[in-house]
Amino acid sequence: MIHEKIHTENMFLHYGSKLALNDISIQIPEKKVTAFIGPSGCGKSTFLRSLNRMNDLIDGVKIEGKILIDGINIYDNNIDVVTLRKKVGMVFQKSNPFAKSIYENVAYGPRINGVKDKKQLDEIVETALQNAAIWTEVKDRLGDSAMGLSGGQQQRLCIARTLAVNPEIVLMDEPASALDPLSTSKIEELIVQLKEKYTIVIVTHNMQQAARISDLTAFFYLGELIEFDKTKKIFTNPDKKQTEDYITGRFG
Amino acid sequence: METYRIFDSELEKLSQKVIQMCSQVNQQINNSLTALKDYDLNLAKKVIDKDKEINTLDVKIDRLCQKIFALQQPVARDLRYILSALKINNDLERVGDHAVNIAKRISPLEDYRQLVSELGVDQVSTEISVLFSYVLDVVKTHDLEYCQKIYHHSAIVKEGCLDIADRILNEMMEKSEVVVVASNILIIVNLFERIASYSNNIAESITFVVDGEIVKHRKNIE
Repeated sequence: MIHEKIHTENMFLHYGSKLALNDISIQIPEKKVTAFIGPSGCGKSTFLRSLNRMNDLIDGVKIEGKILIDGINIYDNNIDVVTLRKKVGMVFQKSNPFAKSIYENVAYGPRINGVKDKKQLDEIVETALQNAAIWTEVKDRLGDSAMGLSGGQQQRLCIARTLAVNPEIVLMDEPASALDPLSTSKIEELIVQLKEKYTIVIVTHNMQQAARISDLTAFFYLGELIEFDKTKKIFTNPDKKQTEDYITGRFG
Repeated sequence: METYRIFDSELEKLSQKVIQMCSQVNQQINNSLTALKDYDLNLAKKVIDKDKEINTLDVKIDRLCQKIFALQQPVARDLRYILSALKINNDLERVGDHAVNIAKRISPLEDYRQLVSELGVDQVSTEISVLFSYVLDVVKTHDLEYCQKIYHHSAIVKEGCLDIADRILNEMMEKSEVVVVASNILIIVNLFERIASYSNNIAESITFVVDGEIVKHRKNIE
């Protein structure tokens, strides 16, 4: 049976007086790729950021309802946000490597989590780079600056950096939207491989990307979750007219 | 809020071509059946000659579908429509071929017009005309009510074909001199049955466009 990794119930989010997410209830399964689609401003990125409390950093955000990960409400008072973000990693639209060496970018997280042993760090760095499908491209220049890598390589390095702290969930906010088709295809291939070990939630504006890589697709519109179903169903025969109109480009 | 898509004009073009294909095939069937009924060899020749136009249109529709798939990456109803347009086009082309095949088999029947009539070929021909008029209606309107009419008339045609086949076999057993011509009629009747089957396929394809339901082979699947 598929384990439910993320579960939200009647979740509302306000930016000040503006309602940005309206009554979102969704169950996201473990070790699957779930894509969030919808027009700009529909709330999909806001919802994604709620899943590791990135919205805590924004003034005036108020969240109601439940967001459970492995059955635990991540907005409970006793939740340690740093531990939560270790468990729920995030990759952003624009690759944002530190101005450090390739090695240091990946070793940074484990090191601040207390790993000091050089041999152990080496192992973590290699595994993370391998899992992010960039190891063979950088293994001979781990000491070089990460800033010298191409955009696609930088993004995979950021994925490796996220994986290095051993998360269970990886949130991705348009991870390939700034990349050329070849780099995009490498990232997509990587995402599909990653679901063997991780639960992936991805926001994308690229409908074909959602169709290619995700198992499930959620369509958001005006802060509401309109439809959530298997990707195959959404892209061949969606239940809701709004979903159909959006994915066929009739509105949005 | 609905917006106009560049893609809509391509879909409209495809839709018009499929309707055009269906109208032409409908005309081919009617002409072929009239030629059979009236033993009109000139009309039969017209049917045979016109097949080239149908084949040209068939290729045009295939190419247009190919272009839309490559350039527009259709999804949902658009995807279902284009997939179905390809299949409907293929079915229509086959029906067009069968109209030609019927037309080609009319000339040997000259001395046996009474036998053709006695076997009930004219009644089944009329049913096919009615059946295919509904096929044209469903292709034009996507109104699923026509599908039920298609299934109904298709069943009548198939039953009529079985009945004629039984009678032909009896004729052949009784009168050995009619074996050659009877075999010819048997082939025509078989073509009638194929046209009825293709009509069902087209109704199933339109159901898939409208409902997203795959209804073909339903009896076998369930």
